[in-house]
Amino acid sequence: MIPHIMVQAVLQQSVSGLYTDLVTRPTGRAVRENIERDLPAGSIAVMDFTGVGCLDYSCADEIVAKLVRDKVKVLLLRCLTDAHREAIEPVLAGAGLAVLCERADGVLEGLGATGPAPALLDELIQRRLAARNSGGSIRFTAA
Amino acid sequence: MTRLVEVPTQFDDRSFDQFAAAYALAADGERLLFDAHAAEWASPYGLVGLLAAGEAAARQGERPLLTAPANSEVVSYWARAGFFREAGDLFEVHGKVPKTKPAVESDVLLPVTSVRAAEDVHAVVSTIQQRASAILSSELGLDPKATMGFAMALSESCQNIVEHAGTGGWVAVQAYNWRRKLARRVVVIAVADAGVGFRHSLEPTQAKRFGERWGDAAALEAALIQGVSRFRDPGRGQGLAGIRRYLARWEGKVAIRSGTARIAIVPRWDDDVPLKDGLPAFPGSQVLLIIPEQGSGGGPSKQ
Repeated sequence: MIPHIMVQAVLQQSVSGLYTDLVTRPTGRAVRENIERDLPAGSIAVMDFTGVGCLDYSCADEIVAKLVRDKVKVLLLRCLTDAHREAIEPVLAGAGLAVLCERADGVLEGLGATGPAPALLDELIQRRLAARNSGGSIRFTAA
Repeated sequence: MTRLVEVPTQFDDRSFDQFAAAYALAADGERLLFDAHAAEWASPYGLVGLLAAGEAAARQGERPLLTAPANSEVVSYWARAGFFREAGDLFEVHGKVPKTKPAVESDVLLPVTSVRAAEDVHAVVSTIQQRASAILSSELGLDPKATMGFAMALSESCQNIVEHAGTGGWVAVQAYNWRRKLARRVVVIAVADAGVGFRHSLEPTQAKRFGERWGDAAALEAALIQGVSRFRDPGRGQGLAGIRRYLARWEGKVAIRSGTARIAIVPRWDDDVPLKDGLPAFPGSQVLLIIPEQGSGGGPSKQ
């Protein structure tokens, strides 16, 4: 069973106040610690950003980069806005890390450093969590 | 003895050094009188900088005095910009101050707001997204998607206070017509604190590396140009780098003053100096972000 993390729901549980924005290091740390509690090390996880407003660089690093660096094997991000991508991409690239991102059309692509992304896609295909289409693009199949 | 610190009549980032020079003459324990009675205009940078001076002065000695602008329009604008709401806690204010609430529908996108903790940054980001979106896209010609980047830049600027200053600070955001340089509308973010400043914050991890060059200018260069942080955590230092990227995309400007130095990333439209050292000492850090209207043209003059 692949853990599905609804980031907005975790945010509501992690901090007092009805925030929709993932900003500041303390908020990012609280959200990540909440996520890590139920996440086995080396797992493959899906993180859904539905309902998340602003995501700043500090939170992108504190949540996404640190989970990739220290906790998960493959992290697949879903329902990202362009602004979310703009915060996450340089943070990951600067650290030589990458995640997979599910586009609106369902196709998976790497986000962050270019080096690690193909291995992440291969990992999903080997575990039969993703499949290659006839056109060559790769889709997540584990829903 | 009370020492007079004159507030420049046109109080912005350009005249700030004149203000800082007067402030730097004060001796420990001297009571300060900040005299703004002749003030004709103040940018958000001037307003938050004045509050930082007030906080630093209060720490050094007696509660400072402040003479409010004599001009009724000016003092009314300062009140609408939220200045007196914060100044009341820091200064013994003299002069007629209108009981106007900070503006909710105007070019004051974010009135002068205190930033002391992460919760304050959340509140600032939430407010700015509600109020800035229309102005950024319709008046400045920025892509509507740029609003989120603007909120990100604002968040990271405010976090510098929470994470590094060792004390609170203030932020203000305003849109206005900038006749001096551009004859275009701009949005300005100003953030100031009277905390420890960049040099002190980075000294334990960076001073050795810079050797004899170490000082306020080297600390600013390390933070803004090299993306260095006082934390050894590899992900740190993202905030200022992100601000630079955002401003580069929209031809914006960032300038940071701390201690006796000031650094700026200067866009084509400006003739500011990239790095100044040996300025009059002023406590903490003062950050200025300017995002200009895209393309030519401009709205009616407001200032």
